[in-house]
Amino acid sequence: MTIKRVFIANRGEIAVRIIRAAHALGIETVQGVSLADKDSMASKIADRAVVIGPAPSRDSYLHVNTIVHAAKATGCDALHPGYGFLSERAELARACEKEGIVFVGPQAQVIEDLGDKLRARELAEKSGISSVPGSGHVESPAAALVAATKIGFPVVMKASAGGGGRGMFVARNRDTIEESFERASGEALEAFGDGTLYLERYIENARHVEVQIAGDGRGNAVHFGERDCSVQRRYQKVVEEAPCVLMSNVLRKRLHKAAVKLVSSLNYSNVGTVEFLFDVECDEFYFIEVNTRIQVEHPVTEQVTGYDLVQMQFRLAAGEKGALPLQGAISISRHAIECRLNAEDPYNKFMPSPGRINKWGPAKGAGVRVDSHCYDNYLVPPFYDSMIGKIVVTGNDRLSAVRRLQVSLDDFHIEGLVSNLPLLREIIAHRDFENNSFHTRWLEQDLLPAFESAKKEKE
Amino acid sequence: MAKPTSDDIKTLIEQFDQSDWKEVHVKTDDFELYLSDNPNSVGPPASNTAQSSVPVYQNVESSSAIRTPEVTPPAVAKPVLTEGMSGVTAPNLGTFYSAPKPGAPPYVEVGQSVTAETEVCLIEVMKLFTPVKAGVSGVIKEICVSDGQMVEYQELLVVIEPS
Repeated sequence: MTIKRVFIANRGEIAVRIIRAAHALGIETVQGVSLADKDSMASKIADRAVVIGPAPSRDSYLHVNTIVHAAKATGCDALHPGYGFLSERAELARACEKEGIVFVGPQAQVIEDLGDKLRARELAEKSGISSVPGSGHVESPAAALVAATKIGFPVVMKASAGGGGRGMFVARNRDTIEESFERASGEALEAFGDGTLYLERYIENARHVEVQIAGDGRGNAVHFGERDCSVQRRYQKVVEEAPCVLMSNVLRKRLHKAAVKLVSSLNYSNVGTVEFLFDVECDEFYFIEVNTRIQVEHPVTEQVTGYDLVQMQFRLAAGEKGALPLQGAISISRHAIECRLNAEDPYNKFMPSPGRINKWGPAKGAGVRVDSHCYDNYLVPPFYDSMIGKIVVTGNDRLSAVRRLQVSLDDFHIEGLVSNLPLLREIIAHRDFENNSFHTRWLEQDLLPAFESAKKEKE
Repeated sequence: MAKPTSDDIKTLIEQFDQSDWKEVHVKTDDFELYLSDNPNSVGPPASNTAQSSVPVYQNVESSSAIRTPEVTPPAVAKPVLTEGMSGVTAPNLGTFYSAPKPGAPPYVEVGQSVTAETEVCLIEVMKLFTPVKAGVSGVIKEICVSDGQMVEYQELLVVIEPS
């Protein structure tokens, strides 16, 4: 079958990206917009835009029934969910299926299985991929010591009910177990009303590495190499690159194989990402989760492989013959780095800074790609995610890409709106970044404190 | 007045969005906020303290860089409300039905008198039917959409001349 008209159930840069990919394939587009996005770029470039609800997401971009109704009523035969919003809700995939609309993403059951983090870990285990070594619940310092000895030091104690880094304490050896246990348990009780803890191996020098995959739904799957997304703040990626040059070829091959094995065992359909923690010291990787959608950072993979992943999503969803390339045809060349540009104030606790962009001056030039929905006089609405664009550069190797990114960030200018550009410039110009010597906590632990104190000195 | 937090601002914007106000202009010593429902708005009336510490919306009145955003005409020309008329708009996106069931007489017809409580149509989303009331008493002047047509959120459905 072929797709004639697609409904885009998303907004911002990814909506623009999807519309362009659809048009390139001759697919008509209907863009669902909230009232706040009526004048958005996606609304302008789509063949048709329909207002699906008021500004708050829960009544527009997150409203499954309205979205499916709108898709049907506008004669769409497919729906693209983008990332975020409803993209990983099995409910939407099911509703589409029921209404005879092609969901541009994996099967509802696959979304559901992989969305349950424990189930996903089990499935990964079955494919022979281990997660970070850990324990079940521990009730006492004595039990923690037994578990820690089994896992190996250092360990981190985590609150069962927790998240966001609260109630987490590291024990480096057996002497500090008791103290760490009491502190972690106390804080967990205070923060979450539940002092139950579990232990995990603490990885000092960890990188976030993920493999881009695609499957045809019949057990065939391929990978498009890996991305390194280790510059993070509060588990949010800030800078992503491909490939991960720090990894040995031997480990890289094992990593790709593991990801492909997992998704082909599920008859995975469409594109997805298998996320891992890469322990640099031990030269080992551990499973984190699978994201069953196109990701924000997909452009770096497109830059180094030459494949258009969003177009591929449509072709795979349509069941087109030959939509899935042969593994042998996919090769990685050059190096690409992406920065996420956000409407937030890095000098003021990353407060969102929506408002009007008086002048939008993206970086330009050879090897520079900017994916964005912004334009002169665009009003960044306060209701949604603060990302306003992505700057992606490509170079012959990592160093030339870093240099190109430094220049591009200096060139980039935005008037009338506060953004995180100053922080991005600082990160990319930093010696540690240039030398590729950082880990997942580097931005928060090393760079940000220096960034903030340098600002105080200036004042 | 203490500097408003981002939550205050968000609340203000949400309430503005849901109101029928055309514009809001809030100003204190170190804070200024201007909201308008007009995409071509040139900003708040000029004031003698244009330098606001809040970057949002600042310079809006003085910048020559502003160009009128290109507004693409909608696929279908949508009826607009003329002065003195009252409109009933769609409470959500859905399918418009002029009658309670197929073949039944329509809820209202042009020229008919209605009260605020009179039901004028049904909006359906995935088999969930919501009756829409006139909201004002008066005479039906126009029914802007045809039976079974998809309507967007806040699309004009019925025009009433208030009595």
